[in-house]
Amino acid sequence: MKNREQIRNFSIIAHIDHGKSTLADRLLEQCKAVPQREMEEQLLDNMDLERERGITIKARAVRMEYEADDGKTYEMNLIDTPGHVDFNYEVSRSLAACEGALLVVDAAQGIEAQTLGNTYLAIDAGLEVVPVINKIDLPAADAPRVKQEIEDIIGIPAEDSPEISAKMNINIHAVLERIVSDIPAPKGDADAPLRALIFDSQYDPYKGVVVYMRLMEGSIRPGMKVKMMATGASFQVLECGYMLPLGLSPQQELCAGEVGYFTASIKTVSDTRVGDTVTEAARPTDEALPGYRPAQPMVFCGIYTEDGSKYPDLRDALEKLQLNDAALSFEPESSVALGFGFRCGFLGMLHMEIIQERLEREFDLDLVTTLPSVIYEIVKTDGTVIRCDNPHDYPDPALIDQAREPFVKATIMTPQEFVGNIMPMCQERRGVFKDMQYLDAHLVELHYEMPTGEIIYDFFDALKARTKGYASLDYEFLDYRPSDLVKVDMLLNGDQVDALSFIVHREKAYGRARRICEKLKENIPRQLFEVPIQAAIGGKVIARETVKAMRKDVLAKCYGGDITRKKKLLEKQKEGKKKMRSLGTVQIPTEAFMAVLKLDEES
Amino acid sequence: MSKFSYRNRPLGLYLHIPFCVSKCTYCDFYSVPDRELMQGYVSALLTHIRDYGRTCSGYTVDTVYIGGGTPTCIGPKFLARILQEVRNCFPLADDAEITVECNPESTDKKMLDTMKKHGVNRLSFGVQSAHDDELKKIGRIHTFGQTKEAVGLAQQRGFSNISLDLIYGLPGQTQEMFLDSVAQCLAMGPQHLSCYGLKLEPGTPMERENPVLPDDDAQADTYLAMCEMLRANGFEHYEISNFAKPGFRSRHNIKYWDLSEYLGLGPGAHSFMNGRRFAFARDIKAYIGGEDILTDEEEVASFQRQGEYLMVRLRTADGVDFLELEKRYGIDSTPYEESFRRLLGNGLVAHQGTRWYLTEEGFLVSNSIINAVVEAGQEQVEN
Repeated sequence: MKNREQIRNFSIIAHIDHGKSTLADRLLEQCKAVPQREMEEQLLDNMDLERERGITIKARAVRMEYEADDGKTYEMNLIDTPGHVDFNYEVSRSLAACEGALLVVDAAQGIEAQTLGNTYLAIDAGLEVVPVINKIDLPAADAPRVKQEIEDIIGIPAEDSPEISAKMNINIHAVLERIVSDIPAPKGDADAPLRALIFDSQYDPYKGVVVYMRLMEGSIRPGMKVKMMATGASFQVLECGYMLPLGLSPQQELCAGEVGYFTASIKTVSDTRVGDTVTEAARPTDEALPGYRPAQPMVFCGIYTEDGSKYPDLRDALEKLQLNDAALSFEPESSVALGFGFRCGFLGMLHMEIIQERLEREFDLDLVTTLPSVIYEIVKTDGTVIRCDNPHDYPDPALIDQAREPFVKATIMTPQEFVGNIMPMCQERRGVFKDMQYLDAHLVELHYEMPTGEIIYDFFDALKARTKGYASLDYEFLDYRPSDLVKVDMLLNGDQVDALSFIVHREKAYGRARRICEKLKENIPRQLFEVPIQAAIGGKVIARETVKAMRKDVLAKCYGGDITRKKKLLEKQKEGKKKMRSLGTVQIPTEAFMAVLKLDEES
Repeated sequence: MSKFSYRNRPLGLYLHIPFCVSKCTYCDFYSVPDRELMQGYVSALLTHIRDYGRTCSGYTVDTVYIGGGTPTCIGPKFLARILQEVRNCFPLADDAEITVECNPESTDKKMLDTMKKHGVNRLSFGVQSAHDDELKKIGRIHTFGQTKEAVGLAQQRGFSNISLDLIYGLPGQTQEMFLDSVAQCLAMGPQHLSCYGLKLEPGTPMERENPVLPDDDAQADTYLAMCEMLRANGFEHYEISNFAKPGFRSRHNIKYWDLSEYLGLGPGAHSFMNGRRFAFARDIKAYIGGEDILTDEEEVASFQRQGEYLMVRLRTADGVDFLELEKRYGIDSTPYEESFRRLLGNGLVAHQGTRWYLTEEGFLVSNSIINAVVEAGQEQVEN
């Protein structure tokens, strides 16, 4: 029986670049958790993409042992968290696995948006928040000012917070001591029925799914039959243990308060949902842990390969990614313009971008993707209700009794001086204002009900831009509401291009249509004939541009009978044409097509 | 009678003179400035003329074209030697068209008299522009005044088939400026005009400089206005860039456009004989040294020949007669004709019966049209 009093479970909250990963590395170093020669920069972010983007996509956890000044050895579990609104739910589950959080603030820059959002999530979850002032070695560092800011904005004492430099290895010891003294030890009865929170899971080709969990009550050991309370799946535990920085360390048993993993030959992560409760099948706990939310794709788009023959590769790649990502969904679809591909569902835009990037990078695929969309509900005149995320499946308006679009409950936290910037922006996006609460003298929480379609594209970026990065955003699905939706078709030279159609609220149709027309005009090379670009609702054209006919493409000189050269020049042109995609009678380079689809959303 | 039939295959002969006093900034034809190489070069060329003359006894040379470089810069003596050697070594038709490219600054009375004496009957002057500032900018070493003088001298000596070269689309050039150059050229009374659109050729100083050229629309408008102006002055527009008074089309250049045979001697010169294309490398020293410097050798596959035929024919106002195409290559011309029909509505092509040709608007986008047409035929072959 381990001493629960000597366990500390904590996470680190920090803005990008404020030094979270560096601090994590230093903590590991001080606890001698990793031999020096194996110390790799930013050990926690072990996906290439995470290192490059400087963000944590998947939650990580790592265990280290710290010999404190009081002479006792503490078991420290650092649970790392993702840092984007698309993954807010994952963040909340990671935080729920901790008793405390280090709030790392840059001594020069002070508090920033991401920090605020996650700090409030931590406070809401009842965590002890320990401020740490980092980068005190910078010339612009102003620790007193930043401490005051923490007290003013967040309202937690910060006067005697450790002032450190993770980079220069200054004062790391003080942080560890603070974790020991300020963050409470976990509670929980080790003899009670098993009750463990899944905060992440990962597919391993040899062991099957490795489930990361925090034991709230009870214990787990190999051979035990466990049950996932939300998905209902049962498994026999093969192995359980700790996550050490350099790998898994199997143990005989894990007990209440501890953080660890188990494996049970689980084939897919969709059986081990983040937030689900693990319990013993033979002796289940009465009540699941609160807060479980099934992963729900909010954004959908078509993904195709540039080279149509790579379709099977794309399917294999998506299947592999799905092993590790329960939030990713996909099903086959086809398009006249793009060939065979998949309709894929994502948590949000960042999630979508990450999947696309991983497909391109890890599986070496060149992708073409269609405009993202949300799922609409259509009540047809015959009373049937269909769910539609693909413009291609949108019924004829004559057959539609009522169209509904998804709404989310959006919570925006911001210093009150930015409220005036935020409200018009929400209004423009058809947000319905619900209420505004003062959290303290400066900090305000705004509640809106907003169409999901308005929030998914660039709302988060726009919000940050208008609040100097201070505002934070969380949203969750609310309901479907009747909406005046239209399907807009794009026509090139009179032929409809299916991959460019989109569903949109009538008020926004014109603006979006006009911008797509403009973008097409910019990107379509001149053809031998004039190409009208039209956007139409039903048969009615709402926007139009024209690509003028090509005027000049000629070899004027005759090169003294050098036919070979002339032929080569024409061959080269022809090669260029092979990279073109045919949209009806119009040839358009694939890059141009993608530029149109990558349309940055403004309206 | 037997002798006539033995020699009835016509041949065009091109001789390259790879010397220039100074290089124009836009030009990528092969030339060097080293005058000391002239002697050696001329004797190498003479040897070549003798060697090839022996192998060409089955031909009658009916056009000779001496181009460059700057043929006139080697002086009358060398030019006379070359012309004499051609006469000695090749069966030359009585009415052969013999053209020499002339640069105004090196075309003096003596040069003109020499050319006249040796049977040169067509002169092609590199005028390029009637504006001295434009000439200077593109690296020409003559003025328009010198051009007028040289052309006048030639006309006085009885040269009655004179062609002038012009370039449109120069950096900073407006349509008005170019049309003024055309008008001033017309005032000299030429029988033929070649008007080329400027193209930035890779490796030229102008390409490195990468100047802003008039945009495609402006160039196209200029081209069409020029065509109109020349038509009004009695010129036939017989190839994309070439215009002639009736009876004065360049017989030599026409060979390039109907896949007739021609032999080119000198570094960088191209030949097409017996269904085979070849060229001599752009290396004057190797050429002088008598090295075997054949490059770009190519047997033209039969399908490619159709493609080539279309490619060159569509540069001409006569265009392609599909009956002729079918006869020549034993193929079905339907897919070609269909690809033309698709363009009919755009005013880019026109036809008279089975003869299809590009309009002037069509000439302007001829690359795209040729590719589309050739591709249509290719699909037929692949299917």
